[in-house]
Amino acid sequence: MSHKPTITDSLQFPADSKVPRALFGLGAAGIIASAVGYFFNADQFFASYLVSFTFFTGIGIAALMMVMLHHITRSSWGVLVRRISEVFSANMMIWGIFLIPVLLGIHNLYHWSHEDAVMADKLLQGKSAYLNTPFFIGRQVLYFVIWGFLGYKLHKASVEMDETGDWGITTHLRKLSAPGILLLALSLTFASFDWLMSVDPHWFSTMFGVYFFAICFQAFWPVMILMVFFLQGQGLLKKTIQQVHIYDLGAWFFAFTVFYAYIAFSQFLLIYYANIPEETLWYYHRLEGSWKYIAYSLLVFRFAVPFLVLMNREAKHRRSVLAFISIVVLVIHFAEIYWIVMPVFSEHGIHFNWMDITTFLGLGGMFFGLFFNKFQKHKMVPVNDPKLDDCLSKSYHQ
Amino acid sequence: MSKYEYVKEPALVKGDHDFSSLTRLVTDINLRPTPKAWYVAMIGANTLLFVMIAAIGYLIWEGTGIWGLTNPVGWGWAIINFVWWVGIGHAGTLISAILFLFRQDWRTAINRFAEAMTIFAVMCAGVFPAIHVGRIWVIYWVFPIPNQMQMWPNFNSPLLWDVFAVSTYFTVSLLFWYVGLVPDLATIRDRATSKIRKICYGIFSLGWTGSNRHWWNYEKAYMILAGLATPLVLSVHTIVSFDFAVSMIPGWHTTIFPPYFVAGAIFSGFAMVLTLMLVARKIYGMKDIMTNDHMEKMNIIILVTGSMVGFAYMMEFFIAWYSGVEYEKAIFMLRATGPYAWAYWTMMTCNVLSPQFFWFKKLRRSVGFTFFISIVVNIGMWFERFVITVTSLANDYLPSSWDYYSPTIWDVLTYVGTFGLFFTMFLLFLRFLPMVALAEIKAVTPQADPHNYDEETKEFIPPKVEVPEPQAQKV
Repeated sequence: MSHKPTITDSLQFPADSKVPRALFGLGAAGIIASAVGYFFNADQFFASYLVSFTFFTGIGIAALMMVMLHHITRSSWGVLVRRISEVFSANMMIWGIFLIPVLLGIHNLYHWSHEDAVMADKLLQGKSAYLNTPFFIGRQVLYFVIWGFLGYKLHKASVEMDETGDWGITTHLRKLSAPGILLLALSLTFASFDWLMSVDPHWFSTMFGVYFFAICFQAFWPVMILMVFFLQGQGLLKKTIQQVHIYDLGAWFFAFTVFYAYIAFSQFLLIYYANIPEETLWYYHRLEGSWKYIAYSLLVFRFAVPFLVLMNREAKHRRSVLAFISIVVLVIHFAEIYWIVMPVFSEHGIHFNWMDITTFLGLGGMFFGLFFNKFQKHKMVPVNDPKLDDCLSKSYHQ
Repeated sequence: MSKYEYVKEPALVKGDHDFSSLTRLVTDINLRPTPKAWYVAMIGANTLLFVMIAAIGYLIWEGTGIWGLTNPVGWGWAIINFVWWVGIGHAGTLISAILFLFRQDWRTAINRFAEAMTIFAVMCAGVFPAIHVGRIWVIYWVFPIPNQMQMWPNFNSPLLWDVFAVSTYFTVSLLFWYVGLVPDLATIRDRATSKIRKICYGIFSLGWTGSNRHWWNYEKAYMILAGLATPLVLSVHTIVSFDFAVSMIPGWHTTIFPPYFVAGAIFSGFAMVLTLMLVARKIYGMKDIMTNDHMEKMNIIILVTGSMVGFAYMMEFFIAWYSGVEYEKAIFMLRATGPYAWAYWTMMTCNVLSPQFFWFKKLRRSVGFTFFISIVVNIGMWFERFVITVTSLANDYLPSSWDYYSPTIWDVLTYVGTFGLFFTMFLLFLRFLPMVALAEIKAVTPQADPHNYDEETKEFIPPKVEVPEPQAQKV
């Protein structure tokens, strides 16, 4: 009898599954409904769209970062769940299509894109070398070329290793990931400036890129946890992905909850403390009217609750607890992006619109529809990974 | 087939070592008679320590006027040296706590060493805020001690948060270090032949016998301390960065300071660990434990953190321009082209450019080159703090008060003297304590993970029984 761990589950996502089609259906319905909304209120449509677009793209960016970090550190803990992130990253290339409405809505979303507004505003004139329409569009294309290329390569090589079992591919993946992380760090920073910071073009914060990375990465772990639960709910990988692997996802979730709190609080405290008008105004708008309820619930639901719950070892073992906290954090993640973008368009308080929901469902359906569409084409686990045995035979006390 | 070769992960301990040869390799250093070279080094270190004591003595006698501080440069070398030393300490905690939580087994070769460095670096750092206060005899006023005058420190000030952050950091680091030392101290106790050694190591090993229950408690305690130390890696240098960033001074007030300072601290700390490690492993023949693979991994961390620092410099510059704030723009232009441009470009070369050489595997694995870069990085990180502190203050809002800041001989002597304190402590550590976490390094050798099963022949192999060494062995 060999003690070598073996996988007994089927590794193929069922090809006849109705999941991708159902998601595409939901996505199409959401997008059509939002498109109708566009004719009623274009400003609202674009603003809602930007929030949802950032939400899902952020998850893709975080997945890309996770895959590359996994390769560069030669990790074994997450081999079993790596394919999930690889598929998210591989879809970044197609996902670029969903950027188009943001580019079409540039005049509705970005005050700096109006030439007459720039003429009347000395500050915007100073920024116009960076904040101008052609350069903005060029940058967006560049970001998606970088992300699409990296995601495509990382997925392709990993899938190739499934077939050939050639471990030399891991060396190739490491060599790709090292400069990849550098490129991703730079591109996601400027993307966050473009999408979210320049909505309020007067405001600036050197930390903003790190802050965007922190919110996306914290929200990425709940997506992974819920995805694993969903697959196992479908009867897939039930014996392969074990409690100890889910525990690790929970530990990452906890770690990045603290990291998020650290970054978000540092940014707030430094601006609050110095109290310079050009900086505090951003927080001032977000702490008045009904916006302040979102601000305070960030503190509670994005930090205090997950922090206190996930600190407990037992909680990271209980699926119901993990699932609940994951949903809470995803909801508040949406609320945070909403809270960053929307006060520019509705200064005095939350002005909820049905398009906030339809754009979210539309993009979400597409995002996960594309995911399952690609996911079912290959094995759900990198079966020939050199670290797979380590991952399968993992125990708590390593 | 792809064009790349699979690179196997190297073994953590090189050479043909078993448990007892590792024990001898590490503890013999402490049990042998003191080598002459150690005394020579100690005399050098003590001389510098005396220089520090003399410089501080004169400072207390005469006051901070002996330093190069002027108006508007009210913060000079003292804060630069404080931040520099406290930053160096961070590598030790990162290695001991964060890499432990990440289950990075390679840390075991260097963690003891790096933690010792942390503690001594924080001691050197602590000197500066303590002596700069003017009236050192009332230094206890920095603590919120209830008193009949109802005098309290300013709780709104990050300088007070520093007092709490650094003292917590020092305490936790010391505890963490000591807990890790207990099993190894017991090993030395068991091997010691002289009575005094037996008693001293015996007291500090707390009656450790290596029983199952002892190990169980030990691992629990170690895990909890690692959990406590991890946020401290971030919090200490974050609060140090707050010393600058909560102000309204251009070049200081920028939100990226907290993570940027933490990355810089780890950057300089790893460089310092490398400088010390490369020398120590040669002198003490530790190349089997502190291998070139360890050096390569540390060089990669230097590359990563160095690039993070470079990223932060770039962000500061970009946002200074993007913000449209005249003062921010002016101060950054002055940094690159003004009177302190030489310091700025030294910083840029040392911190941003020099670690980029580590993209090349050959250079990452070259001992001489690594040693050189490790020193360059620490020079660069000193200049970073110089650039931040001095350039923002010297050219303030009022051009009429602009002046060129230069230090006096007393600034220099105090700084150089802290190396005396550092090396005195470090030499004592090398002489009397095991410089490698012996129990931990044994746990990552293949012998510690016996399977008693041959994959190929499918046969059971009986475990080798190791005969313990006689206690009163001559060394």
